Amino acid sequence: MNKIKLPAHICQELERVAKDHKVYLEGNILKVIEPVSYDSFNKYISDAKENDSNNRKKRLEITKQIQKQNRELKHSQDENEKLMSDLKKALNEAEEANKSVASQNEKLMSTQSENEQLMSDLKIALETAENAKKAAENDLDLIQKKRQFELIGNIVSYALYVIVGTGIITTALYIMAIIHGSSETTLIGNTWSNLFGILLTNSFSIIGTIMGVKYASKEEAKSDS
Amino acid sequence: MIIESILLVDDENLFHLVFEDACSLLDISLTLESVSSADEAEKMFKDWMDDPNGKPEVAFVDLNIVGSSFDGIELIRRINFQYGNGVVIGIISSSADQTEISRALHSGAQFWIVKSDDIEPRLEEFKEDYQGYKNRTATFKVYK
Repeated sequence: MNKIKLPAHICQELERVAKDHKVYLEGNILKVIEPVSYDSFNKYISDAKENDSNNRKKRLEITKQIQKQNRELKHSQDENEKLMSDLKKALNEAEEANKSVASQNEKLMSTQSENEQLMSDLKIALETAENAKKAAENDLDLIQKKRQFELIGNIVSYALYVIVGTGIITTALYIMAIIHGSSETTLIGNTWSNLFGILLTNSFSIIGTIMGVKYASKEEAKSDS
Repeated sequence: MIIESILLVDDENLFHLVFEDACSLLDISLTLESVSSADEAEKMFKDWMDDPNGKPEVAFVDLNIVGSSFDGIELIRRINFQYGNGVVIGIISSSADQTEISRALHSGAQFWIVKSDDIEPRLEEFKEDYQGYKNRTATFKVYK
């Protein structure tokens, strides 16, 4: 690039502004101004370049510091974001765990409720079974008693038939002996008398036994209830 | 030797200031234009195909340019193979990934400058090598 040559009056004006107000040209324009024959403007250019260089150095340092701080901030921000992400993840995991525990609790509660229901059903079933058992025992007892009574009734009936039959036959024989005038009526009479006595004794003995059994059965039923 | 014009393509605006001041202090360039996206830079190079007025001598391109449709290496490839090249071009990035460096070399990048707080020594070194890049005699170099 061709350098520029400034006219003398502009050089003087620039020197004046610099002297009065300390205002200098700056930037890359200084690199393209051609040196002149008089020293004062060359010194002006040299001072301007020095000022510009100092300003740029200061700005460069500050910019680098800001750049460094920005990098550190970015790094901190990244770390914070990572921490936040980790925290969020941990929170989500905790929430999931809570949900899982709550779900398990619900299941446990449900199972407990089912167990209680089952226990209640079992209790009812047990009571029903016990009642059925008692009812069955009662029925069995009743059946046994009924059969006992039937058996006793039969025994009594047959015993009475035998006793009455024997009495009738003996009596008939005795009457026939008397009617036909048999001489042996005394023997028959004694025999009839003895036989009748024995039969009566036995019949009362049977009746007594039956009454005793009945009484004993009643007592047993009372003590069971 | 001073470079007349430089184009910086970087999404970090603060680095624009750092780069401009560093280039000025080191007397590397007279003018510097900075853009923040690869798309914008691509459009500029497209326009310079018709009218090369204002076309820079050197382009420094960031590797990952946030908010762009493609990365810096793709931009270099397009500039070299679609928009007629004609500039010294390379990557300036905080990364020194060997795979990416290899990609950049294949896309036609001439250099790779690793960005850091202390960028000036690397730019000074680049300034010394610049003539070789301009003449296409210097080989690909990584400034670490």
